[in-house]
Amino acid sequence: MRLILIDRSAEIRFNFFPLALGRPLWELRCGMSCLKEKLVAKIKPDDVAYFVPDYMAEHYRKQASGPVNDASALSGADLIIVDPLVKAGDFNVAAKGKSEIGLNEDGRVIYARISKGDAKRFSSRDIEGFIASAKAGLPGVVCKVPTWQYTWDLVLANPEQITAEFSAADRSGIDGAVEEPVAIRGNKKSVYVARGAKIHPMVTIDAENGPVYIDEDAVIQPFSRVEGPCYIGRKSILLGAKCREGNSIGPYCRIGGEVEESIIHGYSNKYHDGFLGHSYVGEWVNLGALTTNSDLKNDYSSVSVMLDGRQSIDTGSTKVGSLIGDHTKTSIGTLLNTGSYLGAMTIIMATGKPLPKYIPSFAWFVEGIVTKGFGKGRLYETARTAMSRRKCNWTPEAEAMWDAVFEMTSPERMAAIKKGRKTLVK
Amino acid sequence: MATVEERVKAVTARKLGVDEVKMSDNFTADLGAESVDSIELVAMFEEEFGIEMDEDAALSVQTVGDAVKFITKVCKEQGVEIE
Repeated sequence: MRLILIDRSAEIRFNFFPLALGRPLWELRCGMSCLKEKLVAKIKPDDVAYFVPDYMAEHYRKQASGPVNDASALSGADLIIVDPLVKAGDFNVAAKGKSEIGLNEDGRVIYARISKGDAKRFSSRDIEGFIASAKAGLPGVVCKVPTWQYTWDLVLANPEQITAEFSAADRSGIDGAVEEPVAIRGNKKSVYVARGAKIHPMVTIDAENGPVYIDEDAVIQPFSRVEGPCYIGRKSILLGAKCREGNSIGPYCRIGGEVEESIIHGYSNKYHDGFLGHSYVGEWVNLGALTTNSDLKNDYSSVSVMLDGRQSIDTGSTKVGSLIGDHTKTSIGTLLNTGSYLGAMTIIMATGKPLPKYIPSFAWFVEGIVTKGFGKGRLYETARTAMSRRKCNWTPEAEAMWDAVFEMTSPERMAAIKKGRKTLVK
Repeated sequence: MATVEERVKAVTARKLGVDEVKMSDNFTADLGAESVDSIELVAMFEEEFGIEMDEDAALSVQTVGDAVKFITKVCKEQGVEIE
């Protein structure tokens, strides 16, 4: 049976910007794994095929283990098509059975189970045509499986996801190296230190309120405090960090200062002091020393976020920090307001004041205004340099994808630049 | 209407806080512009002339005289009336 993951709706993808700008939705992380890994663990398919927005197909093809945007994957096997935003823990549809389509109350396809024989009937050149035919030709059933709605849902659910996945992994104990004195508080069965991981002396691992999973080759340096639930990814380093509850970090991150209930994708650095709370950070991000975000308003009201620079969305939560896109760099002393949005590939040169809540992708924030800065060419050079330092390649496919993102995000960037110009010429 | 040269000099003097600007002045060596100033100068020139400049090309301009030539060329290309 083949799992088909589809991420082609611009409207749905928008809710996960800026993180979704450079990756399909199922690559978003929550707990100890990404959404795809959760679905694969739940459904246990023989293989997986992917349908992504055209602009990222070439780039994603280099990373994916299965076919990408290949309509031939829609035949030759029984298919289970699942909305990648389905909460895997709540998805209890049998992967095998008669062909049917599960629709939510808005008519959105949550899943489609299509036998190999039925799939032949719906053959089409593209995935949209295939789904439309299947929707018309198969019995529909009402499906009430919950889905992730926004990026902050993932952040807010992170502690419970870590706890659930720690239980499912069924691992505990020390396979790595622990250099005494190290304090482990709480139930020792709620701690796992994987092979190759090193816990330096004077570290506290506090599993009293949730499990702590330290993955292979991670290093926890002296004076770090790691509170569960927490997941530290492979080869990540904590540098005397106050790692409060609910964090998922890495792989290959370097984290210092205070971090609370945040998700940080791979290869991102927050080396120095400064607070990061209830935030979602993309990959190849660098947060300069003393970069600090607010995740709680002074009046304890619910936090709103702007995903397009115009309309505020009420998150319904009193705790939401920042959404920070891939390859974004902040200067020393950057202050981020509650519910801030920093697009992908932005450069922030802080002025000492809290930033505006919305900084578009590819913007250079200089002297308190959004500018075109040195342009995207310089950003690509920086990305190439940062990646080569970790033995990763900036590829032509990546550049083509980011070129497309640059075009897509041009209207909001130009609007912000125009607004800044008014300040500049005063 | 003021000439391109006069307008470029006026914007430069205003942004960099200098009294006198010569065509031969180098933005960095003679007028003390730092990289951040360059970004803002490009933005101010775009606003002054109502043009769009390629960042890489604009930021490679070294002197006030070169800026005048470059902006004149861009104005002509983009059909912006000058002088």
